[in-house]
Amino acid sequence: MRPHVSVLRLPRGPDPNGRGFDPNSPRFIALCPTTISASTETGTDSVQIREEQRARSVLRESFLRTLIAMTNKQVQFHMYERVKVEAKFGASDIDVLNFQVSELHTPIGVQKEALLRCQDVISYSFDL
Amino acid sequence: SSILYCLLARLSETKVSMAMRQTPLTCSGHTRPVVDLAFSGITPYGYFLISACKDGKPMLRQGDTGDWIGTFLGHKGAVWGATLNNEATKAATAAADFTAKVWDAVTGDEVLTLAHKHIVKSVNFTQDSSCLLTGGNDKIIRIYDLNKPEAEPQEITGHTSAIKKALWCNNDTQILSAADDKTVRLWDRNSTEVVKQLSFDMSVSSMEYIPDGEVLVITYGKTIAFYNALSLDMIKTVDAPASIHSASLHPDKDFFVAGGDDFKLYKFDYGTKEELESYKGHFGPVHCVRFSPDGELYASGSEDGTLRLWQTAVGKTYGLWKCVLPGEFSCLMPNN
Repeated sequence: MRPHVSVLRLPRGPDPNGRGFDPNSPRFIALCPTTISASTETGTDSVQIREEQRARSVLRESFLRTLIAMTNKQVQFHMYERVKVEAKFGASDIDVLNFQVSELHTPIGVQKEALLRCQDVISYSFDL
Repeated sequence: SSILYCLLARLSETKVSMAMRQTPLTCSGHTRPVVDLAFSGITPYGYFLISACKDGKPMLRQGDTGDWIGTFLGHKGAVWGATLNNEATKAATAAADFTAKVWDAVTGDEVLTLAHKHIVKSVNFTQDSSCLLTGGNDKIIRIYDLNKPEAEPQEITGHTSAIKKALWCNNDTQILSAADDKTVRLWDRNSTEVVKQLSFDMSVSSMEYIPDGEVLVITYGKTIAFYNALSLDMIKTVDAPASIHSASLHPDKDFFVAGGDDFKLYKFDYGTKEELESYKGHFGPVHCVRFSPDGELYASGSEDGTLRLWQTAVGKTYGLWKCVLPGEFSCLMPNN
């Protein structure tokens, strides 16, 4: 009976909570260009980078706070193909790919529970 | 004496191969059949593997370990084809939602959606990643300039049935396509005219193009056929014990592997056409198989929803496989 080749471990499977592409991986850090121009200029001083990072943090935090503020509120969604719908906002998934909504008013009726695909949404508004 | 064994093992790998049983590494995560897979070239961060799955969620993995890196989310239907550019910075996918998509393979973000009029089956980058070739059920080959994505693609018509695979060849100056009309056609990119055509008695199940040496590997029925990619002259054909869905030629052109209906992976000597080994492991038909760019392993995708990685030289220390000396305890028992 021939022995089986040994393995150190099994291949790692997908993370059930996210889509991966770890931003802390060496490849990501080396290859991922930043989107704000200050960071891509050569000879940028560290003060500018810190300012930029502060701005990013503020914007990100504001966005996350809007998601919290929207919970259980009536939100109007402006979508592609000139679609405008209104619904009660429930929650977003972790990658902001889908919004969970209730009582979605659409041109063809009211959907009790629905998921809105974020990439189809152009903008949304709600009253604070 | 244990060091001596390992040295001897490395010197005579075939002896080790015969002494040990292959342990395939199973990559789980997909929930439906895996229908296509592709490796990138060798990059400073290793090489990578992308898998196309009927669950609509293509995945990127580290090529030598099978470790999951990320899932490309966005398609709304089964993904039939997937590819990476050489540097593994871009990915492209072809899907049943009538789109081909281009992705940033570092961040996982969708970069481009290219609308088609029917199911898209095949996607392929040029060497410099500037153009994307697509083919699918609308029978038209399209060339997209990725620097001008809003521009209308160049179209190549001629096939009379759904296109299974379309690949750049001859330094991206020509295109090879295989379709359900039982033909394989070679096209000139500039004139969009057919240069040469091969006709078969049955539909071609898969096609692989090897730029180094200009070899084309075609499978149909139980046959694995090798052609010169420039002239479409036949080099040789080999018959397998079962209907074959996909085959791949080793970079050194000493072996080729094939898999199909009987769930097994077959390894053949390319020179002598002799069947060397067959491996069980998958629980469903094998849909795709490809050698890694360094030839050290090959990956297979199956109806059972898994990818498996197989060693070319069984028993060699590589990736997650470890050469264990006799009398030593292994770190992990296989199949746990």
